[in-house]
Amino acid sequence: MDNDTSERLRRLRGAVPAKRHNARTVAALTGNPGCARRAVLDAAGVDKEQLARHVGFPAKFGQSQFAITRGNAFEAQVKANAFAELIRLLRETLELELNEVGQTDLEEVGGNTSQEMRHIRSRQKLTGAAADGESTFFDHPLLTLDVGGNTVYLEPDLVAFHHNGKFHVVEIKSFAVIDDQADGGKVAAAATQSAVYVLALRRLLGDDDAVSDEVVLVCPKDFSNQPVATKVDVRKQLIVLQHQLSRLSRIEKLVGELPPALTFDLAAGDDGKPTRSAAALTAALAEVEARYAPDCLAKCEMAFFCRKEASGCTATLGINVREELGGVETVAEALGLADGSLIASDSQAEAAAMLRTTAEIYGSVTA
Amino acid sequence: MTSPAEALERRIDELRAAVRKAVTAGERDRARELRKELRRLEDAWDEALDELADQTERPVKPVPRQAGPLLPLREQVHQALTLLGAPAAPRLIIAVHEAFHVGEIIPARLTSLRRDEERSFRTAPHSRPYYLCPALTADLLAPARGLLAVSTWPMANRVIGPLSPRVDFLISAIRLAGHLDRIPDPSTDARRLLWRFAANIPGAAPSAAAMTPAAVADAAEAELDIHRDSDRSHREAAAKRAREQLDDIEQLFGSRLRGVASTGS
Amino acid sequence: MAGEANAPLAAMIGSDVAHPTLLFVPQPRNRDMRFEFAASLAEVVLDYVRSRTQRSEVLGNDVVFLEAPQLLVPNRAGAAFVRLLGRSTRFRRTTGLYPVPQRVPTLGRWLTYLAERSEHPGSAAMLAMTEALSMHWASGQSALEDANLAAILGWIDPPDGVTGPEAAIAAEDPLVWPPAGPSTDPSFDNEVLAPAIRAYADSAPDSPRRMHALQTLERELRGQMEPTWRLMWRAVDVLRALPPGDTVEQRWTADRKDFSRYHNYLVMDGRPQARRDGAVVAARRLQTLEREQTLYDATRALDDPLVMANFRVTGEAFEGTVVSVERDRRVTGEKGRRITRPLIVVSTGDPMHLAVGAAVRSPARLGQEATIVEIRRLADSTLVTLELAGGMGRRAAPAPGTVPEEKDDITYTSAFPDAFRTPDLPPTELTPWTHGGPPQPYVPTEDDAREVWE
Repeated sequence: MDNDTSERLRRLRGAVPAKRHNARTVAALTGNPGCARRAVLDAAGVDKEQLARHVGFPAKFGQSQFAITRGNAFEAQVKANAFAELIRLLRETLELELNEVGQTDLEEVGGNTSQEMRHIRSRQKLTGAAADGESTFFDHPLLTLDVGGNTVYLEPDLVAFHHNGKFHVVEIKSFAVIDDQADGGKVAAAATQSAVYVLALRRLLGDDDAVSDEVVLVCPKDFSNQPVATKVDVRKQLIVLQHQLSRLSRIEKLVGELPPALTFDLAAGDDGKPTRSAAALTAALAEVEARYAPDCLAKCEMAFFCRKEASGCTATLGINVREELGGVETVAEALGLADGSLIASDSQAEAAAMLRTTAEIYGSVTA
Repeated sequence: MTSPAEALERRIDELRAAVRKAVTAGERDRARELRKELRRLEDAWDEALDELADQTERPVKPVPRQAGPLLPLREQVHQALTLLGAPAAPRLIIAVHEAFHVGEIIPARLTSLRRDEERSFRTAPHSRPYYLCPALTADLLAPARGLLAVSTWPMANRVIGPLSPRVDFLISAIRLAGHLDRIPDPSTDARRLLWRFAANIPGAAPSAAAMTPAAVADAAEAELDIHRDSDRSHREAAAKRAREQLDDIEQLFGSRLRGVASTGS
Repeated sequence: MAGEANAPLAAMIGSDVAHPTLLFVPQPRNRDMRFEFAASLAEVVLDYVRSRTQRSEVLGNDVVFLEAPQLLVPNRAGAAFVRLLGRSTRFRRTTGLYPVPQRVPTLGRWLTYLAERSEHPGSAAMLAMTEALSMHWASGQSALEDANLAAILGWIDPPDGVTGPEAAIAAEDPLVWPPAGPSTDPSFDNEVLAPAIRAYADSAPDSPRRMHALQTLERELRGQMEPTWRLMWRAVDVLRALPPGDTVEQRWTADRKDFSRYHNYLVMDGRPQARRDGAVVAARRLQTLEREQTLYDATRALDDPLVMANFRVTGEAFEGTVVSVERDRRVTGEKGRRITRPLIVVSTGDPMHLAVGAAVRSPARLGQEATIVEIRRLADSTLVTLELAGGMGRRAAPAPGTVPEEKDDITYTSAFPDAFRTPDLPPTELTPWTHGGPPQPYVPTEDDAREVWE
């Protein structure tokens, strides 16, 4: 990224530190890749949650402490007694040899838990893994990934090193696999998140072949606490993720088209609240085009704002409606084309014909 | 009756709703303030309830399942570690204690125990027959996260190399199995504890019901044979370094600063 | 409860809006309490199922109950939860390590039955209310937002003085409209439920504190569920205000028959449903579902002109005017006999996408087969020539009124009740060895029963 663009991104963010990404937010980048607003805000490291709140449309994310507790307890359980359960599972899933039981704790370095220190040690241990052959299990290594010019720290649950020279990312999740089936949405989210770790580990080792594109997902089986391990292919997630990350680093073009003075500065005044008014920030947001879809509600902090902004647009009705009405932006336009009061442009011809037929047939029935 | 307790309760409900509203709106500071007020009122409410209860019956405070411990905490932990014969995590120590003894170990007290032991040693070194101390990592000779050991064990048993967690797991399985074989009528908890080991050792037992301690010990021994030598040489080397480089206190409680400095940039 | 697989926290259930039964688990992580919950739920559900078996009729060779159970849940996730609750209870045993009352596994079989039955198109055995509403109303929001019961009902039936869109937005505030389950609102979990469960867990049995903690839990959980309870009944009222379709009775009879069949099975055999269907069972099931789907789509279109309108928009049906009739046309049939095959030409403005040779039917004359023999596209209409067969009486010349006449308005559709024909699968017991031979009935294993529910 050139200096000019970095400078522009800094100005967009204003006088506050960049929002730190984590595996979940990096994974979220792969959703709705066509949204310029989101790309710009993420590249600039704007705190979207605070921004949405300040303009009056707070995100409705939140995690139940029960879910968090359960997640932690399950991870502690499968790692208990020197990874006893994990060793059994990975001997089956990855065909580990009996002598592959070595373990390296990377969650702290001699009592020090600073990120820099942990990352340096993780790098040392992981790059040396093949040479010294001491360890198979690397507990909570701290990896990094460059996201739009910012370094993001990432912490997989576990990385396993196989005697054939391949590393495997192991992700421990507390959602249940019942009769060999799990919630598709949760598996997809876990796969994307694991793909982020795979990518970070590949960059750290500087060798794509050294990290398997199959990750191991460990979940509770049926209604018990018994863990079960499943291999998940994340090649597709990797492609999407790499595409999206390179797009972030090619943000120049998007940024270059924005007004030079544009900023989303959330710097706080004495009362702890941003000094810039909600109206000013709302006006600033209007300068960067969004591509709202109902899916955003579950994924992006800005979604409620964008939905309000998009009201009256066909996009708010869902992606399939938007596609079926190709070229017809608003509901008013659709109605006009249906009753013939608007004339269809070339790109709208197909949708317009369908709208007219539908209006005629439904109209004749309800009349 | 509109007692003060009821008025308090209504206020508590209102505050709870307000906290949720603040949380939902992302107003963290306000939520924190409201929560503080909420806790204050809940305490007041508890007192009011106790007074109310006093008039009818004695308030019942939460009590442990069993009457107080028969041995001091450090001796209970020492017992458990001696049985296991290798460094262990608090969770396992508690499970062992509960499988073979009455009384309850509260996890939080184990954390303070470790600090107390170090303080005691610093004040009056070697005045106790044993100290409970952290196991040390083989490379940095720093305290290993969450592993307790006994000071009288040889240094090589107290340091942890890459293979040591699995080796110690197998040693503990063998010793547990031996103990179960010796005592008459082991409790369900004791068998369940051994099963947690057996389930994860190849060939140890086909099922919990069909498990025999002798077979568990044999299977653990077989896997142990694979790791023993390389683990031993690694540990001996680390132990030698520890004896040469560390002072008395550090040999028991680990080196903090030196380890960190040596990996720093 | 959040984070646990299918751990019930609370349920509000009943068949009378004024008298719901509230069931709740003060410590959802406690397995014994979960079974107590299942046992209490079983009492309510099994009583209800039993009440459906009081009267019966004879249909063909079968005795069929006049009523069948129907479970209404707020949303699709609620239906999925019911299925899992059935899965987690149907293998439980009344003896052994974790014994439960007999009604717990029986509940599991019935919940599983209702969940499986609800997959059959046209069945009303278990309905997700949001989906039942979406079938009859289109809102101005996306399908994702329609999955919120309060929001979709806000569009359909907003409170006085509020517009549909406003009501739908208001419905998104969990403080006003708690989620309709099975997930709870995280801020409720963190600020209300967690302290209440802690207060319960930290109190001695039978102490005033414990009594109070139970009261708090009950009050708070009731507060989370009552709004949805009222919404469910409002939705029932809204749906009941619609006129029933002509073929609804037919579909409900299918539900009654199947209910009677399963009730009999439980009396005679009673083994729980398998964890997974075997290949033969799965193939059969798939074929049945496809046939039922065709039947359902077709009969719904017969009931409701708006459903038919959708087939017309997609070109699978058309409506038009008869412009010419060749009433007494006779042709030589395959066996050399002369047979009556009238031709009619229908002029339609609909975007007809059927091809020559397509079999169609008119809803008004279902007994008469029609085949498209010619299609001529004009500038603003299409002329469709159809050959008719059957439904014209026994004589050589069609009986009066059995063939459409000029200027009649008429609809033809390619989706009609017996349009789906596949070769029959051999009877189950004759499954060839190439397909594994006749499937063995599922016998639950020790493993199924022993599986800890924790």
